[in-house]
Amino acid sequence: MIGVLVSVAVFCIGVYGVLTRRDIVGVLASIEVMLAGSMLALVAMASGADSVTGVRPLGQSIEAVVLLLMVIDAAEAAVGLALLVSVARRRGVTRIDELQEVKG
Amino acid sequence: MSFDAPTIVQIILGAIALLSAMTVVLVREIMRMAIGLGVFLLSVAGLFLLYGASFLATSEVFVYVGGVLVLMLFAIMLVQRSDSGRAVLVSRHDIGSASVALGLFVMLTVALQGVSNRFTGSAPESSMQELSEVLMGGRLVQYEIAGLLLLVALVAVIVIAGGDER
Repeated sequence: MIGVLVSVAVFCIGVYGVLTRRDIVGVLASIEVMLAGSMLALVAMASGADSVTGVRPLGQSIEAVVLLLMVIDAAEAAVGLALLVSVARRRGVTRIDELQEVKG
Repeated sequence: MSFDAPTIVQIILGAIALLSAMTVVLVREIMRMAIGLGVFLLSVAGLFLLYGASFLATSEVFVYVGGVLVLMLFAIMLVQRSDSGRAVLVSRHDIGSASVALGLFVMLTVALQGVSNRFTGSAPESSMQELSEVLMGGRLVQYEIAGLLLLVALVAVIVIAGGDER
């Protein structure tokens, strides 16, 4: 249960960071923290071995899912950082509260 | 709960992960935030190793510490202005965000009560052969779509970040 609790706490810390941080890099880092928390939850829940057979019932399948999650996360980080560089070059802005043109 | 060696290692790694995650969220200097993120990702890799997912731990170090974190450092150095060393973190939504995060934590903890984590301290090692059979067998479509996603992201990054002389 420790692993699941840690992953839930990490996810919630990431949520707090996404909601409060004002710099784009900080928001992206908080999203990384959230995704790491969810991956940790998956691995922690699948880590227990079956008491009879001694094999992990979900192990390989969960590992494949987490591997695909890592791919999606890497793509998201790359696109997000490219957007950050582009916005900073054209507007000279690195904080999200300075970008309010499309605010509804 | 017996405090054998794997449980103690689990608690220590979990405490490091929690503290470094709070560093990432709360610290003001961007470079210190990046260092905290590195420590956080390494502790998550250690937890993966403890849970028997050694290949995931290796990929975590390669992809995140070696890839995403370095990319983030490059982005910080590219866009850093002289006055942006200290990010303004005083937000009007501080208390609301804290209550949202706290409520989410309570809700998820209650919802996950039924999940029996049967981690006994000796998770069997996963074998590369079985993982590759899963990836190349039942999850081949997802694997190929992930590759396609990476290609699309690569092209998008080049279009977004490069060539802004217009």
